[in-house]
Amino acid sequence: MEKILEVKDLELSFHTFAGEVKAIRGVNFDLLKGETLAIVGESGSGKSVTTKAIMRLLPESSSEFKNGQILFNGKDLTKLTDKEMQKIRGKDISMIFQDPMTSLNPTMTIGNQIMEPILKHRKVSKSEARKVAVDLLRLVGLPKPEARIKQYPHQFSGGQRQRIVIAIALACNPQILIADEPTTALDVTIQAQILELMKDLQKKIDTSIIFITHDLGVVANVADRVAVMYGGKIVEIGTVDEIFYNPQHPYTWGLLSSMPSLDTAEEKLYAIPGTPPDLLSPPKGDAFALRSDYALKIDLEEAPPFFKVSDTHYAATWLLHPDAPQVEPPLAIVERMKKYPGSRYYEGTKGGSY
Amino acid sequence: MAEKLLEIRNLKQYFNQGKPNEVRAVDDVSFDIYKGETLGLVGESGCGKSTTGRTIIRLYNATDGQVIYDGVDVHDKKSKKDLKTFNRKMQMIFQDPYASLNPRMKVLDIIAEGLDIHGLVKNPKERKERVVELLETVGLNREHADRYAHEFSGGQRQRLGIARALAVEPEFIIADEPISALDVSIQAQVVNLLKELQEEKGLTYLFIAHDLSMVKYISDRIGVMYFGKLVELAPAEDLYNNPLHPYTQSLLSAIPLPDPNYERTRVRKSYDPSVHNYQDGEEIAMREITPGHFVFCSEKESESLKAISNSRL
Repeated sequence: MEKILEVKDLELSFHTFAGEVKAIRGVNFDLLKGETLAIVGESGSGKSVTTKAIMRLLPESSSEFKNGQILFNGKDLTKLTDKEMQKIRGKDISMIFQDPMTSLNPTMTIGNQIMEPILKHRKVSKSEARKVAVDLLRLVGLPKPEARIKQYPHQFSGGQRQRIVIAIALACNPQILIADEPTTALDVTIQAQILELMKDLQKKIDTSIIFITHDLGVVANVADRVAVMYGGKIVEIGTVDEIFYNPQHPYTWGLLSSMPSLDTAEEKLYAIPGTPPDLLSPPKGDAFALRSDYALKIDLEEAPPFFKVSDTHYAATWLLHPDAPQVEPPLAIVERMKKYPGSRYYEGTKGGSY
Repeated sequence: MAEKLLEIRNLKQYFNQGKPNEVRAVDDVSFDIYKGETLGLVGESGCGKSTTGRTIIRLYNATDGQVIYDGVDVHDKKSKKDLKTFNRKMQMIFQDPYASLNPRMKVLDIIAEGLDIHGLVKNPKERKERVVELLETVGLNREHADRYAHEFSGGQRQRLGIARALAVEPEFIIADEPISALDVSIQAQVVNLLKELQEEKGLTYLFIAHDLSMVKYISDRIGVMYFGKLVELAPAEDLYNNPLHPYTQSLLSAIPLPDPNYERTRVRKSYDPSVHNYQDGEEIAMREITPGHFVFCSEKESESLKAISNSRL
């Protein structure tokens, strides 16, 4: 498949009073046309910063690209001038923000907010733009768009506002849509509607989506591929099945074990001990080593490179080194691996659900 | 069955009563909470679950109905002194750990506020020691006492909220979406802490949430609310394995699980209140379908629900 975006060796730091925060420490990934890539990880892992770097939305006064490239259609986005970037932002790459309550302008009608990118990026008259805006609202499933276009954000519910934010993001048929926790603030029923809407729209206009979330249920629902971030790096990347049924990195194990599944029996919920690393002075080895039960001596000395698990699946953990000891993953993970052909715990088709 | 700690009888909470914009946030809800159990309360935003919690603890005065705690009606007019003893028994943990801690107070004073009001400590030294003890109970330490709320992460702040609730040694805690604002891995830490505390201190919880998988994990029984009404109340396992009210079924079918194969086949049901097709004069009430499993339905429906749940067994 065709690559639409390539992020190569991206390193980015923030300059703060306390010193240099190395928020992204060498991130590599590709985004293919028409796919949904989910980025998961806890707060502070660098997932939002990565996407804001792609959109160039980080304050220039305090952030600095240290290294690497973000290639979009052959252009390196980190090198563009602000003017050039403005032509891409909102047109070719657009973003759905986390909080629909604060990402709309309370003093503008929603019609004007949807028309803003259309008037900016397309050569259309105001009345045509209004027509497009009405169509967009209909597309995202808002009833009576002709009337509601004149209303202000406070006259809408949370789910409706998120639909409006999506309509704005889709206004110019973007090639890449970045969704930063688009459903975290919403109820399960509204969340389900929004996810279905995004999937439908993706089919209709063939957009690639980068989906950031910490809800693994949502990831299982929307993603084609998953990247797991920790301490400013991607620690594991693979197809959704590979990450959920054959995870290799201890951090991915921890994440998957800390979600109660609806059919697990009463037992203590697994909680990853400790706190995320301080990126003011990142650890020199594997950033997760201090919180991991599976840390090896070398984890404290040297950061692990990516080891190949399959053509699509890579994980940065020394456990995959040929000389590493064979370890037993947590029970919940072994249960998952049993279902996956290609994992060492695969039990064949007996008793499987498919 | 264990002893009843709390009885909620026909609780009603109407806002703007009698005006055109009247909102029936809680509309004739009755249930019991037993000593030592965790009752989960779920539903979409605006269904009245938080209002129910806040009315129980008297943050709102109920429009009608009773909240009977240990045999005493909470909403009866009471002397200041009675109220004070009651307030010690019931505490609340709030949803937003960013908004529910005063940014201008030190942690020491935030947690000790309840101690001061109820006169539980005699001198500043004892006050400090008690606060440190509470901080250690929730997994923080002595140094944290002299900091301000903004110096803490979300998970740590929620721990502070829990420490504050525990300060007056309550019997019953209302936790209003205590983990919604937190990361998955931190959610697990807070839920484990709540469970440990419950075992240690014999607490009773009303756990309000919209994350159904966590609710199932922590709750003994679960109530489902829809538009101010309680529509189903059942033991946690039962509710998930044998959901009877169509709204519960729709709610359960909307939860995404961390399992791609399940997600590929999950079909979402939507709930249309007109399926009930209630006739005039039909009495719709909570009816027991199987032992301990109540559904808000008509007499006729209850018969067919009984048949359905028998066939599922």
